[in-house]
Amino acid sequence: MTEHTPLIEINDLAIKFGSHTAVNNVTMDISRGRIMGLVGESGSGKSTLANAIIGLLPYAAQISHGSIHFDGRNLQSFTAQDWGKIRGKDLAYVSQDPMSALNPTLRIGKQMLDIQHFSEQSTTEKLANALAALEQVRMPQAQARLSMYPHELSGGQKQRVCIAMAIMARPKLLITDEATTALDATLEVEIVRLLKELQKDIGCSMLFVTHHLTVVEELCDDVTIMHQGDIKECGTVSEVFSNPSDKYTSNLLTCDPSRIEEKCRRLPIMFNLGLKELADPEIDRKRINNKSRPLLSIRHLDVTFRKPRSLIDILTGKPKQRVEAVKTASLDIAPGETVALIGESGSGKSTLARAAFRLVPSEKGEIYFDGTDLLSITNADMRSFRNEMSLMMQDPIGSLNPRIPVGTSVIEPLIVSEKASGLNLRDEAIHLLELVGLSADFVDRYPHEMSGGQARRVGVARALALRPKMIIADEPTAGLDVSIQGEIFNLLAELRESMSLSILIITHNLHVVRHLADRMVIMYHGEIVETGTTENVIRAPKHAYTKVLLEANLQAKYGV
Amino acid sequence: MLAYAVQRIIVSILIIILAVTALFVMIQFVPGDPANVMLGPRATPELKEALRERLHLNDAFIVQVYYFFSGLMQGDLGVDLTSNRPVLGILIEQAPFTASLVASTLLVTLLGIPIGTYAAVHRDGFFDKASGVVSVSLIAVPPIVIGLYLILFFSVSLQLLPAIGAGEGFWEILLHLVLPTLAIGLTWIGYVSRLVRASMIEVLGQNHVKTARAFGIPNQRILRAYVLRVALPATITVLGVSIGFILSSAVIVEIVFSRPGIGKLMYDAVISRNYPVVMGTVLASTVFIVTATTISDLLNVMLDPRTKDEN
Repeated sequence: MTEHTPLIEINDLAIKFGSHTAVNNVTMDISRGRIMGLVGESGSGKSTLANAIIGLLPYAAQISHGSIHFDGRNLQSFTAQDWGKIRGKDLAYVSQDPMSALNPTLRIGKQMLDIQHFSEQSTTEKLANALAALEQVRMPQAQARLSMYPHELSGGQKQRVCIAMAIMARPKLLITDEATTALDATLEVEIVRLLKELQKDIGCSMLFVTHHLTVVEELCDDVTIMHQGDIKECGTVSEVFSNPSDKYTSNLLTCDPSRIEEKCRRLPIMFNLGLKELADPEIDRKRINNKSRPLLSIRHLDVTFRKPRSLIDILTGKPKQRVEAVKTASLDIAPGETVALIGESGSGKSTLARAAFRLVPSEKGEIYFDGTDLLSITNADMRSFRNEMSLMMQDPIGSLNPRIPVGTSVIEPLIVSEKASGLNLRDEAIHLLELVGLSADFVDRYPHEMSGGQARRVGVARALALRPKMIIADEPTAGLDVSIQGEIFNLLAELRESMSLSILIITHNLHVVRHLADRMVIMYHGEIVETGTTENVIRAPKHAYTKVLLEANLQAKYGV
Repeated sequence: MLAYAVQRIIVSILIIILAVTALFVMIQFVPGDPANVMLGPRATPELKEALRERLHLNDAFIVQVYYFFSGLMQGDLGVDLTSNRPVLGILIEQAPFTASLVASTLLVTLLGIPIGTYAAVHRDGFFDKASGVVSVSLIAVPPIVIGLYLILFFSVSLQLLPAIGAGEGFWEILLHLVLPTLAIGLTWIGYVSRLVRASMIEVLGQNHVKTARAFGIPNQRILRAYVLRVALPATITVLGVSIGFILSSAVIVEIVFSRPGIGKLMYDAVISRNYPVVMGTVLASTVFIVTATTISDLLNVMLDPRTKDEN
């Protein structure tokens, strides 16, 4: 094959799961030596397309027509033997979730040996290759990692191993499926830059599947936008992003909060492919009166975890090891204020939120809620305070019981706290669902009959059931597309104004925080390192970590 | 690994001590006086009192526990009340019959692993469906019923295999093991094959298997090192626990097949309130079960390095 034909040619490809069409008449090329970004919301068929290229479609999926050519060869005619000859050699794949991508029972070195099954080299030479690859992805202490098991590595290190395995194959095409989605912002930018560097080194083509628009800008040469199985637009990144020809693409770009310069209280969202709500620049915002008494006030709080001791440690009288999760943290939230708590995973932000509810015991310090010291009251008294603060869970579908209808889940807090007597529970459930913009017929639906965005709305409705004064939302939009993310944040902003709720958002997505939060609190290694109004922190960060964090949140290059 | 093993063994010894103590407590509540049973209705109160004194029956149970363990340290488990022979000697004599039955049952049970693996890989195929139906039927039938039908079919009708006793000489012993082993083991083959199938199917869908496939690792290697190795720990845990059930089935099967062994010994001892023998057999089976679960735990740690860190 000549160097001028594309490496991958997909022609009129359709993939079905039963009667549902996941990929609909897709035609696209991946050129040699270029990075193609494949963008779309969850369920748009982008992962299915990537899986089809590597021949690993799920059991239920069926290619109904069309073809995929790799380097001039038709992949549909491939037998298991043919696949065995190109997978791991010409094609390499980095999966979505680094946590589960490695065999938990084999050492890293062993797994890196296994993938060199083509090679005639001796084990020593193969190990040397593995070491070189780990060093190439800048793995700290590469030699020692070879004899470690996956669970002894952090998420970022595991992802480095996966990438090292992929580049060790020196493939013609590297496919990465949401390879950076599960990572913290600081880590994500590091991995993206590493991928770009390695792609240049090897000179391979790359298919980068993602829903992060800014990552595509940073990394890719070309981009394909997918929506509900169709390709909406395809072209070079600069072309598509600065001058989108398709309506869906331009709306998608409009909805991306990182592309909105001014601070907005309402984010734009999409409805039936059209823009439903436009960004609403903040003009006459009611200033929070910071002099009023804070609703929640945390003073010098310490939270310490003790690691369980083994029997031998207990017998030899070895003291318990302590992990300081939160160190002398102080934090105020005024009534009606939105505060964002930001930090990487393991920085103690979720622990701090849990400690405020007394869900984890605090070592030292004070927690005042509405003037009462929560640490000095009994567990029975604490119950009534719990009703006034609500926790919104990270995983909305997972936190709903799959066997009971949504309407029942929503009023559950009322029943548990014995406030249900005298209420018409069905009406109450409908009222709560309407409050979050869901129609009355959702009362009888089950969690699996809803989309991710709707499930999150139910999460908000449940959090509101007890008419709380404060909501703590833990990563309320992780893994959501920009448009649905906008919906959820607009909802929270509306409720904040109409019910004068205080909201504490725990996240590492700075772009939305910039628009919605009054103040930012940055946590690093269990300590609050910086607090300030959102504008001030973003304009003039003081702490070194804040600067790193701001840098890591990739900036949009092309305006719409 | 060594530290973990030591720790696990210490825990095992504690479990044995606890189990024996609990048994002493329970024996306190069993009606009937062993002195009466042994000496007959016409024994004088003085004679009974002397026997009770000799067996420490008048002491608090905790003192009895102490005597039992201090005797155990010196290799003394007391004396059989009917034959006056040392219990330890009887146990050593009977244990091989039961141990060989349990061992052969375990070996047969291992057949469930390839059956389950094949069924999982060829999911929804004929073999999978057929083995599913057979397995569930076998799980539903108690060993005693399987045992009786095996005797009827293979010994009475076909006259192929011996039904009674344990046999002498290597071949005879093997032949005598076949039917009792199948009586207990058929249930377990079915159970283990379903279990292996379910955990294999789960692991086959896991992300790391997809990664392995994406790198073109040969299928045999994927099944062995990436699927079975991850799926097996759950099965091994169940096998460890199954030893206890196999042992309790052995009691019944040894009676059905008139086989000598710990099970039959225990049954006879309980019926005649022969306390030293009851204690000896319970101790033997406890040690046996605890050893089996300890070995299965250690095997799990070897197969799955994560287990060690959780402990």
